[in-house]
Amino acid sequence: MSVTQFWLSFGFGLSTASVLAVAAVGLSLQFGVTNYINFAYGDFMALGAFVSYALNNEILHLDIWVAMIGGSLFMGVVAVILNRLLLSPFARRFSKTFYVLIVTFGLSLIMLNLLSAIWGDNVRFYNMKIERVIKVGPMLLTKNQLIVMALSVVLMLGVHTMLKTTRLGKSMRAMSDNSTLAMTSGIDTKRITTITWFLSGTMAGLAGTVLGITEGNLTPAAGELFLFVIFAAVIVGGVGSIYGAMAGAVIIGLATEVSAAFINPAYKLDTAFVILILTLLFRPNGVLARTGKA
Amino acid sequence: MSAFWLYVFTLIFFLFDYFILAMGLNIQYGETGILNFAYIGFVAIGAYMTGAVSMPNSVGTGQHYILGLNMPFPFNLLVGGLSAMVVSVLVAFIALRRLRTDYLAMVLISLSLVFYDICNNYVPLFNGADGLYNVPSPLAGVLHLTTNSFTVVFALLTGVISLIMWWIMSRITRSPLGRTLRAIRDDDGVAAALGKSVFRYKLTSMMIGSFFAGIGGGLIIQFNTSFNPSAWLPGETFVVFAVIIVGGVSNNIGLLVGSLLVETMLVHLVAFLPAIPGHPGLILNIAAMMIGALLMVMLWFRPQGIVPEKLRRSPAAVAAATTSTDYAGIDEGVSHE
Repeated sequence: MSVTQFWLSFGFGLSTASVLAVAAVGLSLQFGVTNYINFAYGDFMALGAFVSYALNNEILHLDIWVAMIGGSLFMGVVAVILNRLLLSPFARRFSKTFYVLIVTFGLSLIMLNLLSAIWGDNVRFYNMKIERVIKVGPMLLTKNQLIVMALSVVLMLGVHTMLKTTRLGKSMRAMSDNSTLAMTSGIDTKRITTITWFLSGTMAGLAGTVLGITEGNLTPAAGELFLFVIFAAVIVGGVGSIYGAMAGAVIIGLATEVSAAFINPAYKLDTAFVILILTLLFRPNGVLARTGKA
Repeated sequence: MSAFWLYVFTLIFFLFDYFILAMGLNIQYGETGILNFAYIGFVAIGAYMTGAVSMPNSVGTGQHYILGLNMPFPFNLLVGGLSAMVVSVLVAFIALRRLRTDYLAMVLISLSLVFYDICNNYVPLFNGADGLYNVPSPLAGVLHLTTNSFTVVFALLTGVISLIMWWIMSRITRSPLGRTLRAIRDDDGVAAALGKSVFRYKLTSMMIGSFFAGIGGGLIIQFNTSFNPSAWLPGETFVVFAVIIVGGVSNNIGLLVGSLLVETMLVHLVAFLPAIPGHPGLILNIAAMMIGALLMVMLWFRPQGIVPEKLRRSPAAVAAATTSTDYAGIDEGVSHE
């Protein structure tokens, strides 16, 4: 592989890592606070992406970046409603996590079929201008990829600031460490959970839309197929750790795109799975692990 | 034979086949507590391997696949079951040793998505997205069956196989092995404290369940004479979970009831309904959403399923209770969820 080729795929890797970081942090935030994995997260992404598509192409005909904000916020509200009506009652009633995991798995089936009932299984495209390629150092990137990267960096800094400095962020970290203790210390855990679901849903919607923008197309199943890449990033980074999720996203994002230069690009996402297996075998708690979670 | 009866026997086939699949997932999920979200992947391994060993060498068939051994009926099915079992051992050694329930579920669902991706893209393995087709119908040559009579014979044969598998499974669940698995499900810490190697028992449970998955898959490819990636999207695992949870976890009769209600009625009966004009596939989408909703309603209102798990009494506790005046022994011997 030539040096040029390496830098080309490295640029794509940064773009994938940006999308992945948003998705992985959204999943980790919610996992940390509620302590169960949301298996419908991929479909949250797809729903956000399709609402953005509707705002962009079907009604209002907004600019894609404005539509993206609409789709993300919509998904945030849907996530809050789903938590209130469906997930949190199951989580409270059954002490074993089995039940709520199966409910999220079922929710994923319902949402996937709902999307394909409304929009059909055909590949859709956002209505956006064809961008010329910009040279950044040795890398070639489109303007859209650069916007997505900037967006992701800003969002990560925002999440970092929120977790470390605000009362909300500190409450979320407290709940993530020990939710009973947090409750007895006077933290309104119900309110924090609601806000967390809103943030998680919004980030899922955002990640779904930017995935559609960077990939250039969207299908109802796209989120679900991307789910294992998110899981890989989250596990490689160390489950439950927000910074781990960010680190995992960079590792997995770069690894998948750079490997595409060596192997058939059709299998590039499977590289994520290989890294996941290696992590499980040699460093099962992840690269930036907190002790005692796995 | 009229189309109606062919249709009835197709439903009968899927009733018994999903009964086998449900028993396999039930020993993993219902008896041991392993949330195997990759179950449909093991079904696919069984199906592909059964197909690949029973087909002729791939040269000249227009398809690309491995093996091609012309293997006759019961043996190809066994190869399918055993292949799924071998893969489950590999998976168990990677994932089952230290991971908590939900992490394991994440790894397993990733596994099924990746395996799906590879089967869909890598043509030399199992013919890629087209999948295997023209798989020989078992016994058709020996018994001089037509396409119609094959459907009937094979549906009944599947019924017989499922009864044999049922007998095997009830022997397993009633044995000390079954009791240990349920102890691990209820509290693996307690089982470990009593000297049971939790990993080894979970491995055994994965192997038995995957063998059932492989057999169920092998029967599907032979019944349909074809199998391709669209038949085993990762969401299909959920249908098997729905069969178990609606029918009754850890109760084989319940699994048969669940198979009848979910697989036969909601999946296959609706597949034959006429499509809504202008909306192809809409009925299937609605049916899938109904399965999801039904499962949530059942989990909330009747988590034990239509036919609940039987209370099992250990012979020792019953004997102790009948020979002494202390009746406390009965309660202690009963395991309930």
